[in-house]
Amino acid sequence: MNNQILNPGVYLCGGCGIGESISLDALEQVAGKEYKVPVCRQHAFLCGDEGRALIEADLAAGNVNQPIVAACSPRVMTDQFTFEGTPAIRANLREQVVWAQPAGEEDTQMLANDYLRMAITQAAGTVPTVAAPEGEYSHTILVLGGGSTGLNAALAAANTGYEVLLVERDNQLGGWANKWSKTLPHLPPYRDPQPNTINELITTVEAEPAITVLTGSLVTKTEGGPGKFNVTLSQDGSSRVEHVGAIVVATGWRPYDANNLVHLGYGLNTDVVTGIELEELLTNESLQRRSDNKPAKTVMFVQCAGSRDPDHLPYCSSVCCEVSIKQALQIMQTDPAASVYVLFDELRTPGTAEEFYRQAQKAGVVFIKGKVKSVSADLGVTYDDVMLGQEVTLQGLDMVVLATGMVPNSTNPEIEPAENGAEQLLDDVNPNTPLSLAIKIIDNDAKEVVPPTAEQAQASEPVSAALPGGPLLNLQYVQGPHIPMLVDGFSDSHYICFPYETRRTGIYTCGPVRRPMDMAEASEDAAGAILKAIQSIEGAARGAAMHPRVGDLSFPKIGLDTCTKCRRCTIECPFGAIEEDENSFPILIESRCRRCGTCMGACPVRTISFDNYSPNMVLGMIDAVEVPDEFDEKPRILIFACENDAYPALDMAGLNRYQYSAFIRVIPVRCLGSVPLLWVATALEKGFDGIMLMGCKSGDDYQCHYVKGSALAKERLSKIGETLKSLMLEEERVTMAEISIADSHSIPDVIDGFVETIEGIGFNPFKGF
Amino acid sequence: MAVSSDTSQKYDLGFARWVYQNVKGGDKLSMCMQCGACSGSCPIGTEMDHGPRKLIMMVRAGMKEAVFQSNTLWNCTSCYRCTVRCPRGIPVTHVVQGLAAKAVALGYASEVDTARFAHSFWWSVTHFGRTDERLVTAKYYFSFGFIAGIKKSLDNLKIALGMVMKGRMHVGLPHKVSDNKGLRAILEKATEIEMRDKQGGAES
Amino acid sequence: MSDSNMNKSGKKKFVYYPGCSSQGSSKHLDSSLRAIVPALGLEMEEINDWNCCGASVGNIGGGPLPTTALSGRNLAKAEQQQATDVITGCAACYLNTHGANERIKADITLRGKVNESLSAADMSYEANLQVRHACEVIVNEVGIDKIKARVTKPLEGLKVAGYVGCQTVRPFANTESGGKYDTFDDPKFLDQFAEACGAEAVDFDLKTSCCGGSVAVISPEKTLHLIRDILQAAQDSGADVISTPCPLCQTNVEMYQPAINKKFGTNFNIPVVFYSQLMAKAFGLDAKKDAGLHRNTIRSEKLNILVRE
Repeated sequence: MNNQILNPGVYLCGGCGIGESISLDALEQVAGKEYKVPVCRQHAFLCGDEGRALIEADLAAGNVNQPIVAACSPRVMTDQFTFEGTPAIRANLREQVVWAQPAGEEDTQMLANDYLRMAITQAAGTVPTVAAPEGEYSHTILVLGGGSTGLNAALAAANTGYEVLLVERDNQLGGWANKWSKTLPHLPPYRDPQPNTINELITTVEAEPAITVLTGSLVTKTEGGPGKFNVTLSQDGSSRVEHVGAIVVATGWRPYDANNLVHLGYGLNTDVVTGIELEELLTNESLQRRSDNKPAKTVMFVQCAGSRDPDHLPYCSSVCCEVSIKQALQIMQTDPAASVYVLFDELRTPGTAEEFYRQAQKAGVVFIKGKVKSVSADLGVTYDDVMLGQEVTLQGLDMVVLATGMVPNSTNPEIEPAENGAEQLLDDVNPNTPLSLAIKIIDNDAKEVVPPTAEQAQASEPVSAALPGGPLLNLQYVQGPHIPMLVDGFSDSHYICFPYETRRTGIYTCGPVRRPMDMAEASEDAAGAILKAIQSIEGAARGAAMHPRVGDLSFPKIGLDTCTKCRRCTIECPFGAIEEDENSFPILIESRCRRCGTCMGACPVRTISFDNYSPNMVLGMIDAVEVPDEFDEKPRILIFACENDAYPALDMAGLNRYQYSAFIRVIPVRCLGSVPLLWVATALEKGFDGIMLMGCKSGDDYQCHYVKGSALAKERLSKIGETLKSLMLEEERVTMAEISIADSHSIPDVIDGFVETIEGIGFNPFKGF
Repeated sequence: MAVSSDTSQKYDLGFARWVYQNVKGGDKLSMCMQCGACSGSCPIGTEMDHGPRKLIMMVRAGMKEAVFQSNTLWNCTSCYRCTVRCPRGIPVTHVVQGLAAKAVALGYASEVDTARFAHSFWWSVTHFGRTDERLVTAKYYFSFGFIAGIKKSLDNLKIALGMVMKGRMHVGLPHKVSDNKGLRAILEKATEIEMRDKQGGAES
Repeated sequence: MSDSNMNKSGKKKFVYYPGCSSQGSSKHLDSSLRAIVPALGLEMEEINDWNCCGASVGNIGGGPLPTTALSGRNLAKAEQQQATDVITGCAACYLNTHGANERIKADITLRGKVNESLSAADMSYEANLQVRHACEVIVNEVGIDKIKARVTKPLEGLKVAGYVGCQTVRPFANTESGGKYDTFDDPKFLDQFAEACGAEAVDFDLKTSCCGGSVAVISPEKTLHLIRDILQAAQDSGADVISTPCPLCQTNVEMYQPAINKKFGTNFNIPVVFYSQLMAKAFGLDAKKDAGLHRNTIRSEKLNILVRE
């Protein structure tokens, strides 16, 4: 153990109850006697001007170059405890010691002492980070899709001062909005259909000098990363390469194919139309039906036509209800004598749309709650009237309108499907999903060919069926050419926690390709995605990380001298940030990297590390904990807590003064994906009685900020059983807990429950070896 | 718009709009969200075949025949509980009574007790300008026929005798307004205006 | 009430609309109201040659406009008498006349049609009146304290269940035009009247439950259980008498007691009186001529004491 490090200074805060709960003198003994830290000072109010002045004076005098602040959580007072641009190393004595433990107890003091030891050791293993941006960075944003969303995105970017390349596959801008007779009300009092302003928007975009419009164009290839994308575009048979900083995908949606809705009369009678077809029939004159141009006096809208239906679209497209209300009002406005029915299962009118709904009710549109069963060729609509509790057949309608849903354009159905990467498109989160790279490796190396199992073969069937068309950007990434889908074919990463983000750094989605939405929402969405794109561009140019480690300048350094070319880092990186050189050594595409450390957790030979986060640094922290021998009857539990959710939840538990066992020692980690099994094995050898990995939820409804870090940790942990057995240890000693940021109330149960389990098993027999 | 006289259709597509436009309180009916506060508040909902909530839904589904034949129309006690509780401000009491009035006007209710009573009542109003409880009741009872009228009268004889004994049933000549001629002229004029409006509505 | 509701002399003038039941089943409401309103300091004269309001089945029997025209005639008569406010004690008269008046005020087309009808008898209505329930007038114009001050023979020891019923409070009690004098579901005024008269207002759950109204007259078999529940709640609350403002409630709850006892095997014998009868008694007015207590069919010892004292 290196007990002597160069120029550290330990600053002990006595504020917020710390001084009353534990002995700062005892902590001073740890720093001075055990670690021979030359400078160690106490202050009752360290984050105040006087306290900070104390530290700054030592830094100025050259006595100290690495301040260690033992006070509150590293998540708070970050500005106060950043000196000369570098955050101090922190020991969390407040939230996770004195607020969570009884004052004056021996175990409380032991916990505090260990956290100080761990902080001093952490400081010894930390090297200051330096930004290292290289080469030329582009500040241009490529917007893919020239419909309402893309136009608004382009305009938002231009208004913020960024150059835009707007790429549209059609020969004209505007997309579906070109067809709308009127639009939903987006302005107070939200009661009447509004004039369609798409032409004004197109004119504004075309007149904007910062926007270059490319219609009739496709992206055929995308290489590089944020700040350095090289995008190949084809237009009229010729191709060109554009250098862009970030990509915003606004490819929108297409209507669900009504030819699948024969049971609702589509194709049986020309007066059964979709809502989109109706738009072209709505004019300033009263509505006429297609079959005989006679006035349509009685019209029924059938909502959820092929939506929220497991045989068709399983989801709600969110806008169809409002669109039907709009169209119903338009019909009644041109012909007040018309009888308009809206047959709905659940009418969804969030927010101001409720005003719109009431307007239609006032106008006399008849709303019927029922489940449609069929529409016959003679326009008889049969439905279960939920409120009457009986089946009803309405005869004599002039027209039936099917409100069909939205299908996201997360692929381009007009081009050929890509030959690989479809699995990744659908299931990017599962660590077992084969990668296109792995497929390539297998192809190149015949002896490694593994025939697909029957299960895999069966699973690949719906993949191709569900995916008409080819990739939007044709990404030249290890993980394949697509932007992965989240659910139901929509491209996103996590609607709530990190909207707009795809699972490819620097590429953002907005509008109905991300989730179903109307034009007003899509316009706001476009602005949001543009802001993310700008962050990405500016961060990349500074060599700084994106969400969630915003501004982090560290990046993984790969020691090629000991690399065994095992490819685990390449395959497991959730963002495709690691590629291979011609000798199959990993190379980092720095700007794609989110600094999660998943590569570090994957590396079996400890050759990947960050300046401020490394396998050896954490091993040192594990070793710094004093593990009492079994006769003291004080077990020790090591918790690796994800800094995104689990660690804040632990802090909040302290803030709420929830009490839990003092036998735990917490090490914050960037992501559970960054935890190598070596740390677990070492801790067990050291005599820790139990190990817990505390992090975000994995699986389909994952909350991992790095998409699949938790899933990878789970996968790796499932393989530790063998190791434990070889050490003659019980499998229950190592566990995993899913804790979200809102789960602070369950922290005591999770921790105390595990401590109880460990106490039941008994002490680690390696203790004292 | 006139209501369709076609009774063969179980579901009349124009009925809902006709009710919205022609029945007292019907203009608010389109705001109904089927919460059922009305039916839950009704003191004699148990006596009704459908209750107000379902009746409104039947209007929407165009079930004209079933609506006008519903006994819900005749069991309203006018307690107005539904009206004051309706979260959408629908005057449910008025709507039910309005539908009842239309049922009478369209000839659906000749055998209904309430309609008989209403006719007896109106007879008293138009003849005397005031209601004579004794005569209204007698006329109502005898609207069932002579024998049935005697029977019903006997059923309630005790009550009637009690009232007479306490001086609470008038036994002399019926009370009248003195300007009965003027009152009748007013009512005739009002009826005439109502008929005129109806025809005007059909033309537009 | 608003300042605009004044006649030329700047004072309110109240006229009284007794309604048809005042000449039949509810003579005792009429006589007691005519006695207590002046006793509380308000002068009122009867509307000349008033007619029926149409009650709850007028719409069905005669149609909407003729029914509204009935009220229009009464209102026109009241206007001829330079009235500002019309007082009525009957719930149905109030419902119809107040409702018609507010519709005529709000709907200029309707006002035209009503006046066109009235012109057949050389009458017209300018829509300047307020139509008010006697209870609302007592709450808003008189006040509970004035009732207390007027009491000379407090009804000590009498337990009163205040049965408000429906149309006295619904749908107008809690509206601007209705004087906002109490709530729809839990009105307090009737209890306050009883307490002001020195009686004890008991806690009575079904104070705004429906007695069946006109359905009870037409088809009693459908509604007897409603009245039974009301009587049971009153009996459970320990009430000596039920007090009500509504003529139909008074008649239904009182007259059907023998039929209920026969049908349900109960033994109810609870007098049902008008609040105004209790007030007349507490004000020391004549038990028969004014309070009309001899007209109540259900007698009990408590009621007989009240009549005698």
